[in-house]
Amino acid sequence: MNNIRDLNWSIIGAWLLLATIGLVAIFSATQGPVSEFLPNYIQNNFAKQLVWVALSIVLVLGFQFFTPRSYMQFSYIFYGIGIILMISTLLFGTEINGAKSWLRLGPFNLQTSELMKIATILATAQYLTSRRNITAENIRYAFIAVLMILVPTAFVIFQNDFGTAIVFLALIPVMLFWSGLPYGVSIFIVSPAAILYLTVFDWKLGALATILITVLIFIVQKRVWLTVTSLITGIVTVVGVNLALTDILQPHQVGRITAFTNPAFDPTGAGWNVIQAKTAIGSGGLLGKGFMEGTQTQLKFLPEQWTDFISGVIGEEFGFVGLGLLIVTFLFLFLKLLKLAGNHKHPFAQLVTVSVTAVFFIHFLINLASATALLPVIGIPLPFVSYGGSAFITNSLMLAICLNMDFHKRDFSIYR
Amino acid sequence: MNNSSNRTKTSIFALQAIMVVSCLTILGRVFFLQIVQYDIYDELGEKNSIRQEYVEAARGLIYDRNGVLLVDNQPIYSITITPVNFEDKNIPLLANLLEEPDSLITALVDDAKKYSRFRTSKLITDIDFKAFSLIQENLWQLPGIGHQIDSKRNYPTEMTGSHIFGYLREADETDYRDTESIRLGDKIGKSGLELIYQDNLKGELGINYLKVNALGQSLGKFTEQKTTKPPVQGDNLITTIDADLQIFAEKLMKGKSGGVVAINPHNGEILALVSSPEYEVQKLAGRIDKEYWQYINSDSTRPLYNRAISSRQPPGSTFKPLMGIIGMHLGIVTPNTEIYNSGYYMRGRPYKDLADPGLYNLESAIAHSSNTYFLTVMDKIATTGNLNNWSRLAKDFGLGVPNKIDLPSANRGILPDSAYLDQRYGKRKWGLGDVLNFGIGQGLVSASPLQIAQMTSTIVNGGYKIEPHLIRATKKADGTIEQREKKVEKISWVKDEYLITVKNGMRRNVLEGSGRFYAEVPGIEVSGKTGTAQNPFGFSHGWYTSFAPSQNPELVVTVFLENAGWASISAVPIASLILEKYLKGDVEREWLVNYVLNFVPKEDNSQASATINE
Repeated sequence: MNNIRDLNWSIIGAWLLLATIGLVAIFSATQGPVSEFLPNYIQNNFAKQLVWVALSIVLVLGFQFFTPRSYMQFSYIFYGIGIILMISTLLFGTEINGAKSWLRLGPFNLQTSELMKIATILATAQYLTSRRNITAENIRYAFIAVLMILVPTAFVIFQNDFGTAIVFLALIPVMLFWSGLPYGVSIFIVSPAAILYLTVFDWKLGALATILITVLIFIVQKRVWLTVTSLITGIVTVVGVNLALTDILQPHQVGRITAFTNPAFDPTGAGWNVIQAKTAIGSGGLLGKGFMEGTQTQLKFLPEQWTDFISGVIGEEFGFVGLGLLIVTFLFLFLKLLKLAGNHKHPFAQLVTVSVTAVFFIHFLINLASATALLPVIGIPLPFVSYGGSAFITNSLMLAICLNMDFHKRDFSIYR
Repeated sequence: MNNSSNRTKTSIFALQAIMVVSCLTILGRVFFLQIVQYDIYDELGEKNSIRQEYVEAARGLIYDRNGVLLVDNQPIYSITITPVNFEDKNIPLLANLLEEPDSLITALVDDAKKYSRFRTSKLITDIDFKAFSLIQENLWQLPGIGHQIDSKRNYPTEMTGSHIFGYLREADETDYRDTESIRLGDKIGKSGLELIYQDNLKGELGINYLKVNALGQSLGKFTEQKTTKPPVQGDNLITTIDADLQIFAEKLMKGKSGGVVAINPHNGEILALVSSPEYEVQKLAGRIDKEYWQYINSDSTRPLYNRAISSRQPPGSTFKPLMGIIGMHLGIVTPNTEIYNSGYYMRGRPYKDLADPGLYNLESAIAHSSNTYFLTVMDKIATTGNLNNWSRLAKDFGLGVPNKIDLPSANRGILPDSAYLDQRYGKRKWGLGDVLNFGIGQGLVSASPLQIAQMTSTIVNGGYKIEPHLIRATKKADGTIEQREKKVEKISWVKDEYLITVKNGMRRNVLEGSGRFYAEVPGIEVSGKTGTAQNPFGFSHGWYTSFAPSQNPELVVTVFLENAGWASISAVPIASLILEKYLKGDVEREWLVNYVLNFVPKEDNSQASATINE
């Protein structure tokens, strides 16, 4: 058994700080004056979250008695069980807020896609690291890895949970890149998302991005076929998105997509959430309106303020200071985790740690970008902060795995 | 291995860079929203959660002279709109909840937009409570729609008083363009006291700041920073009206066409003022019934027309007492001058005189309404070049000059002088024949019932000019009372002896004249004078002006009835009953009341063409 001091306490500190910020915000969002407009089961959210946090602390610390070998060996089995759970959810699941993502287990609702994140990361990492680095010669490994990620993604899409699907998809470039996919190809894989995003604002921005990315890929990779493919993909994306926005999609669908660029266009429909969240954050100012004093929060102008829009509560009641602390804490956590990854000699440990960091990061980025109208509203919780038992425990478990591999890193390299 | 380690380092650096850049972007965005754009979102947040609401001031109440409440306010339910927040696609839903056609709601919404896209105004008022509740429940899907409880005028007594109170209507475009204090949908006085005293009655709007949640539900007053401005109730009006007397007069005038004025001759306070037919002012309170509104505006009986103050008719023989006073002042006659009536007065053509042939002095000429006497006086006035003097003297009695009564559209009447006649007929194109019948209150001479009552008052009060008025005092919300007494002014040229003579004549008119069967009130001496205005279109119009008690007059009553034929059987009983009611407190002559209520005009129409003197 290693010395308890070897545990990375700064990461644990950041984790607990985020959980505490979350608890404070959830308390305000469900127990403040607003509570009179909320049903009982939502008012109970604070108490429940408190239980989840306490349980997670026990789990994370208890998890350190395992060795990494145990879950490396069983990663494919986990993946299999995860897939079975996902299928069960599709068949017998409970629908909450339009997404059929929950499986009822006694008194608990288990969000199976959360567990599937861990299983997918472990299994895909196990698969990729047990092979050689991906090169042009053995690119089929890459395809199998992508398939391992796409299968759960498909299930999540069937469950009508697009936010989580995006998180899964984001794993693809990260994991392949880490496994040796050439830089140029990695950029190429990510490029359509960036071009799409910019095209929604203005097709000229999309076109400009296409040219810049193509030039970048040529400089990095110097392969003509890749450069040409990238250029064509970029052009197809710009034209396709433009066509979809003007001709194919119904006006209300376009409205939902473009609402974040100009929420005032449809202030009571798709723009409502954006306007209210922006107003909540903006009106918080430097120091905020004070705990349980936010009018947007307490008069229930904010939608889903204990989960997806919890940053609105923090921004309104604790101002720039509060949100700044939140963002800095997250950045600290990300950088610390990446540092852990860099310290590992074993590629599995590296890949898992990087993937977990990527999952946290994508959640963080999409959640805050949605609330500040940098992205269309994609319902996705903020890790460790938003209310949600399944998410909190799984996120904590992922963190526990990273801590565990770090804790055991000296013994770990011999497993190879 | 070395290569792989390098790649790991580079990759970690790349990921770190992406995360740092992303976090800085988010942080920058948050900084932009919270620090740079703070003012915008702070205001937005405040507007979001605080709604400004106008609190209607209670309109001033109207009381009668004895403190009887005549007009108060009753709650009604209204729907408001703030067009900028309203979406036209919700019109069908709104129309459905209100159970009104889409087209009406569209028109109302357009009106509101024309008024202001940003200010809240009333969309529709006086809806029933059920529709009001339905709208309240559905407010969450009707952004821009609000609700308001305000009030409409309520008339708790039996008194109709439509021509006294007047009606309120929602301010139209011209009204709210004029002043900042009127909003679309606000009700403002459009006639009667409500119009004249609009500024007193309206009070001041209050402002409330309410905290609302995202569903528009009010969470009570917001009192932290912004002070709430309470509404100030409008001034109460204390009228000179005697409600009992007014109600009684209205009852007597029912089914007839004409006007009644009962006035205190000493100070000009009007105790009753009736114009018949009336309209139902109650029906114009709250949401206006369009059909009724069209009816009263277009009906041939013209119910909106205030016959008591706006009609302009030859006063007929009621003018004779004043002729006598002017004749004496100009030295044409004395109380003892006797003039012979042969049955007609001959001047170019015969003017018929229905008084028994014989000698008449001024008193008996008034008592029996001898035309010859007053035609002779007018003849002398005109032929001695005193026509303009006559006109000027008569104007001192309130005829032919604007009346200062506190009601709109009082008629000034006509009292011709040479300038008027020049203008009317052309210079020197008129002659004695056009002037002579002025002496018996016919021809161009014309007046309203109010003016005849005013003239009579000056005769009986000792020659004082009065200002007829309806408001004694206004009472402000803080309790201060502003008296509105009108000054009286002695007419210097009027001597008591003139007045005594004509008053005796008027007393004898009641005792000996054509109205004697109905005019006298048992136990009280009454004086009066009947008159008839020629009407080329049908039955003559009847006049009667009277006062009682004869020696110490307390009340002057003037009655004018259109197309009623002989005044002695139509106008006289009404005035007599009103005097009885006022002086005795109650009416004993039930038979006479029934007679008046069932009165049908009678007249031999062939006589209408002749000069009539009663």
